[in-house]
Amino acid sequence: MSAARQDGRRWFRREVSAARFAFLMNLPTMLCLALVLAYPVIYAGYLSVHRVGLAQLRRGEFPFNGYDNFERLFEDRLFWLALKNTFTFTFITVGAEVVLAVLIALLINQSSIWTSRITRVLILLPYAIPPIANGLIWSFIYSFQFGFLNRILFSAGMISEPINWAGNPETALYAVTVPYIWRTLPFAILLVHAALQGIPRELYEQAAVDGATAWQRFWRITLPLLRPIIAVILILRTSFAFAVFEEILAITQGGPGDATWVAAWYSYKITFSPPNNFGMGSASAYVLALLIGAMALVYVRFVYRRVTL
Amino acid sequence: MFPMSLTSRLLLHLANIAVIAFILLPLAAVVIGSIQSEKALQADTRRLMPLEFTLDNFTVIFSKGEQKGRIYEQATYLPDNIKNFYTAFANSTIVAISVTFLTLLFGSLSAYTIARQRFRWTVFLLQANIVARFVPAIVLMIPLYVVMRSLGQLNSLSGVIIAETGFLLPYAILILAPYFDSIPKELEDAARIDGCTRFGAFLRIILPLSTPGLAACGVIMFIISWHELLIPLILNARPDFMTLPVVIASLVGDVHVFFNLMMAICLLALAPTVILVALLQKYVVQGLSIGAVKG
Repeated sequence: MSAARQDGRRWFRREVSAARFAFLMNLPTMLCLALVLAYPVIYAGYLSVHRVGLAQLRRGEFPFNGYDNFERLFEDRLFWLALKNTFTFTFITVGAEVVLAVLIALLINQSSIWTSRITRVLILLPYAIPPIANGLIWSFIYSFQFGFLNRILFSAGMISEPINWAGNPETALYAVTVPYIWRTLPFAILLVHAALQGIPRELYEQAAVDGATAWQRFWRITLPLLRPIIAVILILRTSFAFAVFEEILAITQGGPGDATWVAAWYSYKITFSPPNNFGMGSASAYVLALLIGAMALVYVRFVYRRVTL
Repeated sequence: MFPMSLTSRLLLHLANIAVIAFILLPLAAVVIGSIQSEKALQADTRRLMPLEFTLDNFTVIFSKGEQKGRIYEQATYLPDNIKNFYTAFANSTIVAISVTFLTLLFGSLSAYTIARQRFRWTVFLLQANIVARFVPAIVLMIPLYVVMRSLGQLNSLSGVIIAETGFLLPYAILILAPYFDSIPKELEDAARIDGCTRFGAFLRIILPLSTPGLAACGVIMFIISWHELLIPLILNARPDFMTLPVVIASLVGDVHVFFNLMMAICLLALAPTVILVALLQKYVVQGLSIGAVKG
């Protein structure tokens, strides 16, 4: 016991070379990433070119079937619909978030307005709500008979008949964008607000001396200086919106009909509900991963620029 | 900064009120919904404010379905998962605390060397972490399910903890590395001259100075793992091992569960992280912005 402790202390005291030290310090992380990230990603590639259903899982043998999974995937109308819905969803949520984030960040930056200080305190609140709870809360808000949205609109006298927001194929996809924007907007506002505070005051004062209007100051000074952070938000939010899952599960479960099938929901349903096609599920998840991977490379290459520390 | 006219001040106040109302709408809905009975919600579908206040929804959850109260007197069916609230809460807590601890431990070891030692491979490791942060959970879950199934690790908390740690580690490193980088290198140099080992300098000098950064990273890790649905949903199907988000997801589409009960359980599930964010707002803000753009 005491010998072991002595040894432990000696190890602790012993000086190691910089390279060895870096290697030892990174060992747990590299093992973890290899086990939970790299290996599954490679294994998903393996699954995507094999026939893997429940029967094969039970037997433990996965027959090779080449590109069959991808062929079936690309022939599936629902897959293309899911991709189209994903793009529509992402376009709406990211577009709305960038515009709203800039506007609201400017709003909470007005320290002379006392209501802005209240908004600033509350702004982070949606970040604390579990996505699945958020989805369920909004499905209550949207509820055809009992929902709060219809109650509010009745009270304001704006409608006379209840509207089935999430149950109508025409509006369902738009209905699920709002909860998602609600939950993820704080992150974008936060980044823009941080960037705003980094803009030197003198620039605005100088511009005011030169007679620039508030409108001109926004377009000529604020917006150009916000461009880098807007690029960060665009890429991060786009890649996460591509993989939206919880709100879809809680509010529409892909419905009504197949109006709100998105990419992650497609992979989930194909794989984990009968007939449990793991091969095709992996293939579809891979398509999603490639789309997001392209975004990630752009981020590393062009946006997270000061990356070499 | 600039003098504003009364009209523009008024417009800004109105804009603030609109934003505040938008933020608070779902929270008002979950609170009001959770203190209603099914009858009250059905009685008047156009009324804005609640008809009654009752704590029966919470009573039935807290008593594992044994004290049914007035609302559930005649209820013949209650989903088992509602009765499992304590287990799910405990599971969520165990998973979130373990994941926070492990990501902070592995993350700080790794982030420190990434910030300080400039080998080609540590730069590559940082870039790999940035890309890894983008990997969506659904891509990992299909192969992880197959692997965990063959290893007999389905339905265990350790499986979920391992998966979430690996999934969150890249983000933890992205938050911690810039933080370590901002601490002056001279401090370690002085310690090293005094005979401290590399690891000793990290442990005794850098870590104590990094408490705010570790707090920022830790609170974000806790929040994300408390919220995580897909990983425990796919790996754990047995009620004993469900976390709170999985219990909530299991109520979706159960036609026998009405909104009031769902809202009560949602409120209980969101309370811990809301309290955490309210108390540690400064750290969350710092961690989120540092993790997205270096420094």
